[in-house]
Amino acid sequence: MGTIRIDGREIPFKEGDNVLKAALAVGIEIPYFCYHDTLGSLGACRLCAVEITPKDPAKAPQVVMACLEPARDGLEVSVSALAARQVRQGVIEFLMINHPHDCPVCDEGGECHLQDMTVACGPPYRRYRGRKRTFTNQDLGPLVHHEMNRCITCYRCTRFYQEYALGDDLGAMRLRNEVYFGRFQDGPLASPFAGNLVEVCPTGVFTDAVFRQHFARVWDLKTAPSVCPHCSVGCNTLPGARDGTLRRIRNRFHAELNRWFICDRGRYGHQYSEHPARPLTPRVEDVKVSYRQALTAAAEQIKAARDKIGGLGSVREDLEGNAMLRALLYDLSGIFATFSDPQLEVATTTAVAQLQNTTRVLSLAEMEQVDAALIVGDLTAHAPMIDLALRQAYRNGAKLAVLHSGPTPLVRFAATTLTVPPHEIGAHLLRLNEWVAAPSAAHNKQEKELTDIATYLTAAHQPLLIGVIETMVAPEIAVLAQLSTALGSRARLAYALPGANAYGAALLTPASSTSAMLEAIESGQIQTLIVAGNDPLGDARLGARWRTACQRLNTLIVLDCVATATAEAADILLPVAAWAERSGTFVNYEGRAQGFASVFQRSEPLPSTAEVIADLAQCLGLAPPDAAVVLSDAFPGYQAPVPGTLGSPLAALPLPVQIDTTILPAKGPHPGRWQAALTSWYGDEPLAGFAPALLKLAPAAAALINPAIALSEGIAEGERVRLRGPVETMVLPVQLDNNVAAGTIALARGVLAQLGVGHGDPLELEKIS
Amino acid sequence: MNDKLNRQVLQKHLAQLPATHPERRAAILPMMQALQIERGYLDDAAVEEVAHFTGLSTTEVEELATFYSLIYRRPVGRHVLRVCDSVCCSLRGADQLLVVAEKYSGVPLGKVTPDGAFSVLPSICLGLCDQAPAALVDGEAVGPLDEAALQALLQRLQVEG
Repeated sequence: MGTIRIDGREIPFKEGDNVLKAALAVGIEIPYFCYHDTLGSLGACRLCAVEITPKDPAKAPQVVMACLEPARDGLEVSVSALAARQVRQGVIEFLMINHPHDCPVCDEGGECHLQDMTVACGPPYRRYRGRKRTFTNQDLGPLVHHEMNRCITCYRCTRFYQEYALGDDLGAMRLRNEVYFGRFQDGPLASPFAGNLVEVCPTGVFTDAVFRQHFARVWDLKTAPSVCPHCSVGCNTLPGARDGTLRRIRNRFHAELNRWFICDRGRYGHQYSEHPARPLTPRVEDVKVSYRQALTAAAEQIKAARDKIGGLGSVREDLEGNAMLRALLYDLSGIFATFSDPQLEVATTTAVAQLQNTTRVLSLAEMEQVDAALIVGDLTAHAPMIDLALRQAYRNGAKLAVLHSGPTPLVRFAATTLTVPPHEIGAHLLRLNEWVAAPSAAHNKQEKELTDIATYLTAAHQPLLIGVIETMVAPEIAVLAQLSTALGSRARLAYALPGANAYGAALLTPASSTSAMLEAIESGQIQTLIVAGNDPLGDARLGARWRTACQRLNTLIVLDCVATATAEAADILLPVAAWAERSGTFVNYEGRAQGFASVFQRSEPLPSTAEVIADLAQCLGLAPPDAAVVLSDAFPGYQAPVPGTLGSPLAALPLPVQIDTTILPAKGPHPGRWQAALTSWYGDEPLAGFAPALLKLAPAAAALINPAIALSEGIAEGERVRLRGPVETMVLPVQLDNNVAAGTIALARGVLAQLGVGHGDPLELEKIS
Repeated sequence: MNDKLNRQVLQKHLAQLPATHPERRAAILPMMQALQIERGYLDDAAVEEVAHFTGLSTTEVEELATFYSLIYRRPVGRHVLRVCDSVCCSLRGADQLLVVAEKYSGVPLGKVTPDGAFSVLPSICLGLCDQAPAALVDGEAVGPLDEAALQALLQRLQVEG
């Protein structure tokens, strides 16, 4: 600590700060391009020139780069000195030599750093009259548009893409004034974080290809602080809307979570809200009706069903919607649940119960500081930004160990990888627990790997244990928590939960309510079912059972903002506002409740789920419940978190731990010759599944099998095989993948749903002769 | 370019790697050079091959291949004439030499003459300022050049084939 003087003003700085960082922290806007808070200093652009005055009066003042000049106590800095201003002006003039005069048609216009800096320091006119250097652009896929002529060579793109996000398909080619940022060949950028190029680029080289399709000038966009609805991390976003439609999503700085970046699912998944199939008009028995008519019809059906009523909330429904539905069902003496699969319910509630028991869960910023991590499952597809945080931990020297059954991009950075079938995950976790309790010698390769993992974890200053809930069963989740306890107070536990509000939904879920609900529908105990934001009919494992069960219903009432299988099958469909169109609260993987504000209204405004339920209650003659009251009933002392703030931990009564880990067998029973595993990718999520641009990147449907096993079974790459599930039989081409465990067939979510199997379920594979 | 040939060249080269270069990636420049000597230039398949052999990504190989102006990513003629166009040579008439060379060859700078005999490339400073305007013919320094000398030189290259 100390102070520097900038143009006479005393500025405090932290140890290790450079002059630019210290100045920006107190709002002194030294112009810059290549410096980035997270990516650091490079000194490539030469724009942040300032003058420093040496203590020795015999020495002349000198111009230095503020981003490369360490802050030292008593340093005299001048931003306004003539020499510094001349350097900055010269830099801008040189950069503008080759920069095109296309601001009026450039997508970056209005939020262009180069534009701002040129106005701030550059000469107002160009002197250069020669030919400009031009480049051929590349096709970088459906998400990012390339316009190389605008480049000012700040290297932010490759520093983010290669050094920070550890991608290897975007580089800095050539040299001198022809430096070219692009791919080896045309093709979509492979990184799940590629969309951040749009924001890190200080000019219009990389722009949002989706936003371009329905463009608006940034100053015309309506924005408000929002929270990403696409996974349990809860990154903060800034949606932009115009004329009643959502146009784009930008990152919004949150010091403890996403900071400057978001993943491509978060940036491009928003297209679901403008999908042509999105339900916007209420329907009763396939006839379009007014909101009031639909509400009256729903109320009549609910009255007719008396207490034979069920309400299914959702892990992607906000806290208000779930709590209101629960309150309504309580008033009607019906059954309330939030999950479509009992196994996922137990898994999620177990995870939340364990998280409530542990010391505070690490934020993303803290995860970057861990020095060892055990990752169970595929984080990239289920919580992309946690993957990015662990990539930073890896860069800082952390040892990553991955225990998984199918492909996961993090294996590239793992010190140890254990690829085992789903039914062996639990046994491996138990072995790790045993080893931590009593270290023993390794006898074979797998034991050696387990020993390595246990060694990293026990030796680490702060080990992190993180599991993906969707591909784990409750006993495994509990064993992971036990391992965390066994490692002592240094260890930290986290889970990637199966939805933006899975934590909140789990807290509101009565124990075993999913199976109770399903059985009640099957036995005719429920005649009217209200589904809010859930898609039980599209569930991978139980979709077929739900479809059969729902045929027994008199009325299926669905509230949703996407055209899911359940919404399509609804007798009464009440379209609700998408996330950017309403305000509400999500509880993220840490248990942090974050509020999001309504960004815009559609030309025909849609109500939120909570509002529909309040209206429904009124139609039923019940005292209209109020979300705030309902939430303070559920969570004592509840205060709605203000959108745009850091959010606050949700004070909730502890969930009962339902799982007895002693029932986990040393090795799960082998479910048969082949076991299904879910292979997912970063765009795979119920809402983002309606985003056309993102879907263009979805991997082709294939049966992923380990090459060694394929060889022993005589199955070749590309060969078509028949997969037999309990619901359907499918023929798919085989794709060989080293990251698939023996005896495991890794399949996409859609394929699993069609076959009727879930992650870890047995499956039959037949060769087609 | 033939992949099999590439592989043979690279394998031969790998076998000759000195013990002081235990890391395969350290051999990337000599490898690219070896392939270029054998095949004239590096096509996309060659870049992929080098990436495979060194364990680097194709992006990293491409970054290096395109950084070094003596590594060719496009076909060149059997002879390569690199005319210096930096300050000294430029002041002594290099720009005009490049115009003459382009006119003589009948194809734009950087392209191969239809008979495949030669390519003319502009070059950054060759360190031959004492012989300005200077050039490199297949790695051999020539200069000072004038229009007549240049034309004679190109004619000789064409005849040599």
